[in-house]
Amino acid sequence: MGAFPPEAVEAVVFGGSTARRPADGMTPRFAVGDGVVARNIQPAGHTRLPRYARGKPGVVARVQGVFVFPDSNAMGEGEAPQYLYAVRFEARALWGLDAGPRDALYLDLWDSYLDPL
Amino acid sequence: MDGIHDMGGMHGFGAVPRGEHEEAVFHQPWEGRIFAIAFVVESIVPGANVDAGRHAIERIDPAAYLAASYYERWLRSVESLITDAGVCSDEDIDLRVAALRTKAADV
Repeated sequence: MGAFPPEAVEAVVFGGSTARRPADGMTPRFAVGDGVVARNIQPAGHTRLPRYARGKPGVVARVQGVFVFPDSNAMGEGEAPQYLYAVRFEARALWGLDAGPRDALYLDLWDSYLDPL
Repeated sequence: MDGIHDMGGMHGFGAVPRGEHEEAVFHQPWEGRIFAIAFVVESIVPGANVDAGRHAIERIDPAAYLAASYYERWLRSVESLITDAGVCSDEDIDLRVAALRTKAADV
């Protein structure tokens, strides 16, 4: 087991820790404005893709950069960093016509969660 | 995993409280301790990290998950992380809790 020395506490608490990783030559598969569909996946392990978004269409609103992939990191399968995108979903695409016509939701979604529209 | 934690869009939980920003960060001292313990466990225990900690919350029994407060879920997560890593066993935790209960009863 590693150690967590007292002098490390202040640096982490006040400096924060980040899941951002270097791109290392990776390039984003999607650009701002691209239409995407959240994959209909039901992984038994950890995922950050909520059920209500699966199979739903959205638009890439921002390319966030490269981040640790929680689905693999949670399962002891390594950080496997990949591109993360802020994807805008119209509320009506998620919840149907009862939702407000001008409401929208932004989800930060990893590359593995997305297919091109 | 398609667990009870994935509550987005579910009905029946009432309105979302507003004005939470004025609320205390920790409602009880033990909540702050669990926050700190989780931080250290996810930093140094083999196999543990922030995502494994989150997944451990998702693996809480669904009925227990709904009944638990936010930091009770963190506590259960920490227990899973340290027992999964073999730092101690469920029995060790139960024994320790029983000992502390006895000690508290003596005071």
